[in-house]
Amino acid sequence: MATNELPISSSQSLGAVRRPVNTKGWREWLFTVDHKKLGIMYGCVAFTFFIVGGIEALFIRLQLALPDGRILSADKYNQMFTMHATTMIFLFAMPMAAAFANYFLPLQIGARDVAFPRLNALSFWLFLSGGLILNASWFLGGAADGGWFMYAPNSGPVFSPSNGVDFWVLGLQIAGIASLIGSINLIVTVLNMRAPGMTLMKMPVFTWMILVVQFLLVFSLPVITVALVLLMFQRSYGATFFDVSQGADPLLWQHLFWIFGHPEVYVLILPAFGIISEVLPTFSRKPLFGYPFVVFSGASIGLVGFGVWAHHMFASGLGPVSVAVFSMATMAIAIPTGVKIFNWLLTMWGGKIWYSAAMKFAIGLVVLFTIGGLSGVTHAVAPSDTQQTDTYYIVAHFHYVLFGGMVFGLFSGFYYWWPKVFGKMLNEKLGTWNFWFMVIGMNLTFGPMHILGLQGQPRRMYVWTEARAGEGFFNLGFWNMVSSIGSFILAVGVLFFIINVIKTTRNKERAPLDPWDARTLEWLTTSPPKVHNFDRIPVVHHLDEFFHRKYVEDETTHVMTQVAKGEDLVRAEEAAADADIHMPGASYWPLLLSIGVAVLGMGIIYGTPIMVVGALVVLFSSFGWVLEPSVPEPIDFDSPSHDGHTKEIASLG
Amino acid sequence: MDIVNNVKSSSHRIRNSIATLVGLVFLAGCATNAPQDTWQPRGDNAQVINNLQWIIFPMAGVVGVLVFAFAAYTFWKFKDRGQPIPSQSHGKPIVEIILTIIPALILTVVGVFTFRGIFELSNTEDTQMVINVTGQQWWWEYDYPAQAEQGITQPIITSGQLVIPVGTKVLLRETSRDVIHSYWIPALNGKKDAVPGRINLLRLQADKPGLFAGQCTEFCGLSHANMRMEAIALSKEDFAKWAANQQKAYTSPADGTLAKEGEGVFLNQCIRCHQVNGLKKADGTPALAAPDENVYSGAAPNLSHLMTRNTFAGAKFDLLNKTCRSDVWDASPEAIGAKYLAGVSESCLNATDLRAWLRNAPAMKPMYSDPTKLGPSGGKYRGMPNLGLTETDIDKLVAYLLTLK
Repeated sequence: MATNELPISSSQSLGAVRRPVNTKGWREWLFTVDHKKLGIMYGCVAFTFFIVGGIEALFIRLQLALPDGRILSADKYNQMFTMHATTMIFLFAMPMAAAFANYFLPLQIGARDVAFPRLNALSFWLFLSGGLILNASWFLGGAADGGWFMYAPNSGPVFSPSNGVDFWVLGLQIAGIASLIGSINLIVTVLNMRAPGMTLMKMPVFTWMILVVQFLLVFSLPVITVALVLLMFQRSYGATFFDVSQGADPLLWQHLFWIFGHPEVYVLILPAFGIISEVLPTFSRKPLFGYPFVVFSGASIGLVGFGVWAHHMFASGLGPVSVAVFSMATMAIAIPTGVKIFNWLLTMWGGKIWYSAAMKFAIGLVVLFTIGGLSGVTHAVAPSDTQQTDTYYIVAHFHYVLFGGMVFGLFSGFYYWWPKVFGKMLNEKLGTWNFWFMVIGMNLTFGPMHILGLQGQPRRMYVWTEARAGEGFFNLGFWNMVSSIGSFILAVGVLFFIINVIKTTRNKERAPLDPWDARTLEWLTTSPPKVHNFDRIPVVHHLDEFFHRKYVEDETTHVMTQVAKGEDLVRAEEAAADADIHMPGASYWPLLLSIGVAVLGMGIIYGTPIMVVGALVVLFSSFGWVLEPSVPEPIDFDSPSHDGHTKEIASLG
Repeated sequence: MDIVNNVKSSSHRIRNSIATLVGLVFLAGCATNAPQDTWQPRGDNAQVINNLQWIIFPMAGVVGVLVFAFAAYTFWKFKDRGQPIPSQSHGKPIVEIILTIIPALILTVVGVFTFRGIFELSNTEDTQMVINVTGQQWWWEYDYPAQAEQGITQPIITSGQLVIPVGTKVLLRETSRDVIHSYWIPALNGKKDAVPGRINLLRLQADKPGLFAGQCTEFCGLSHANMRMEAIALSKEDFAKWAANQQKAYTSPADGTLAKEGEGVFLNQCIRCHQVNGLKKADGTPALAAPDENVYSGAAPNLSHLMTRNTFAGAKFDLLNKTCRSDVWDASPEAIGAKYLAGVSESCLNATDLRAWLRNAPAMKPMYSDPTKLGPSGGKYRGMPNLGLTETDIDKLVAYLLTLK
């Protein structure tokens, strides 16, 4: 056996606790450090939170369907919209992007895992802890009720006396650690672990966008963390950072929040941009039009995104100079965004478009995001924004951007990559139903909100009144009802997806290895990929390497000739597998450390003794982590190479 | 000739139908009297904004139509009809540059207008009247400092409705006593937040007499949805009458009347938080409210001349019954002044809501005023508590409040 030849390092004897020996069944998931398993877990948890946030949204629409709604009390309604936004942003959108990034980024750059696999597991478990803490508040005295923006001083202990905001503060801090660790991990992965020949400008656009997002996270998360720590000290330890009677300025919170909050918008949308920048070329059979422009517009959106935060504060009394500057900066950001849209359309121009479900959702993004972008320009004009801000017009705008944009992008990704992750094809027919119900539902839900907002219906109101509804074509009553009906059509659309997943899971039929005639490296391996991703690390010569291994273009006639099938390429790789592939071993510590952090956080609400317990667990698992043997003892070794093609041994984790 | 005529007539037909369509949309826009419509400016400041809206919205619309037309053509034209796999072209930089410059130019034009609008709206130099506007959970206080040129020689403190003279450049100096609120009368101007510890300026000016609806638009806690406002613009003469009436001395109800007994109830209960200027205790000393001792924000609506207003409880409820209320709201600009100045008579009073409010205020509007749950606010109320008044007390109080004209 090859394992007998393992060099035994001295670090092995330092191990306080052995690495997990038995990694089968549920243990396979709890102690895994495999980026693909973590990606799947990220996806499952995030989708669950998508359903939770969606149900919260349906409650909101039920309440507002008729004037003076009575489904929810004022208090419950305030909790509902706070948690809807918090859940959708922090517990669905970000982790769902993390799911895609985790799974596909290493595959797209031809790597076998991320740079720090145990940290990757820690990210996931911390995110789950944060999400559970946030939602536990529903059952422990009421959820946060200050809006996802949690403006001071309304978030203070006097104005929000329940523990909801404390849970919110702690949950977000913990989820924030998760994102921060994850972003550092992915940046290092991209910069250090690309396959030979893959220069930055040969990297798939999805990977590029994820890289930009990780930089946004690294620079913006510390800001929100500072704000959350200040708020935590104010609420739990009597500090007065936002207490006006003690001389504080409540606008401090707004600046901190939006310096994070606006880049966060791009954190949400850029991964979806990345996904469709893979899908559109694949299904148009053309490379992305203007690849460098798309990459650099993405990077400049990220950069300028740090300079527009105060456009969320045009009504807060910044003074005309600041307002003018931020107004102009906000208009400027429309330019690189427009570049992206033009490039997507020009990618399709001259193509050979295959309208698969994935492609439908990608096109959905292009169209719906454009609507959201145009309404966005109408409130970049600051004076016009003072009529629109905090009305349903804004709700309409960002749902076109985030639902029409981001969610459609993610669904496009589901259909595109499902066969890669699970080795089975999602049903295209159900996918079409899924798509059309979502498009119609989404437009019926959020389209009328443009009218509601311009007719003066403010956001965040648990009731609206007949007295302010008006009459005629634009009356609030009719359009609120349309919007509520639309939200249920939208829900049916999502239901089609769930049915599709269940049906596909039961279906025994295997997906072909290259069902879409795809372009990038993740398709140069089996579906689902083996633990070690690639049997042989690919050497990259082209942007869209996989496609160029299949097709050759005649230099004079530009006629494309197929020289190989994707499937054959994958088999060829298997035949030429590397010997002795080193993969990291499983670990207990990421999970245990996250539990410790969660308990520590609960201690801030429920008292010092709990905090001490949590701190001890954190300390213990940190030591365990550091002292964990880098290689399992040979006897512990549990070979993951059940496919018989390669021999694998554990290495540094 | 025929062809030419045909083309001409069809182009006429197209032009006519477009005109009709635009007209219909426009009419629909006017017919909707949603009182908070953001497209119906009734004064200079809102007009400046509206002019910008009429630039940016059509522009966004045209760009949208062009992009979607191009997109739709692309989707249709390049559908897979069995054509060969296209050449793997990576794009043309010149196209990219053109497609960057065009939006940049459009936005520069918009930017110039925006820039002008921002500075125009921030101008406060030629202000003719100042009103201090203070937000608190969940109502607005209006404090008119003495300004002789407007006929105000002693400060007027009121709530429920902002009263301004037409054609006058009014400067609101906004602040808050607790959390952030936002003042918004769409017909007169955009929003401006009322931030505790800061004074934000917002200029209003109404062209004609009329009533304008508004709503607090910064989320301010439990009853945010119930924090409404109304602004009424009166002709300069009517405003002078209103101001004079607000400065009129207090007259106690005649002895032996139900209202006089109501004054007693008021002195027993309501005076703890609500001031009525000039009200005296039984021993003849001035009765002074102490909201700072009982209410977290330190203020409760001043009820002097209550019955000159049309609303109460943060403008959530009407003081006028339905008929009398629509009579004021639907009045022509010429007639509204007199109707408004008539105030609330006994026959016009919305007694149902007022009595329900006096009976159990927190049941009418969600507030933090349960006496057993005031720990976090140091024993102080946020909103009006249930005072446990008897029906007789309520009869007396209503009779008394009706005298506050």
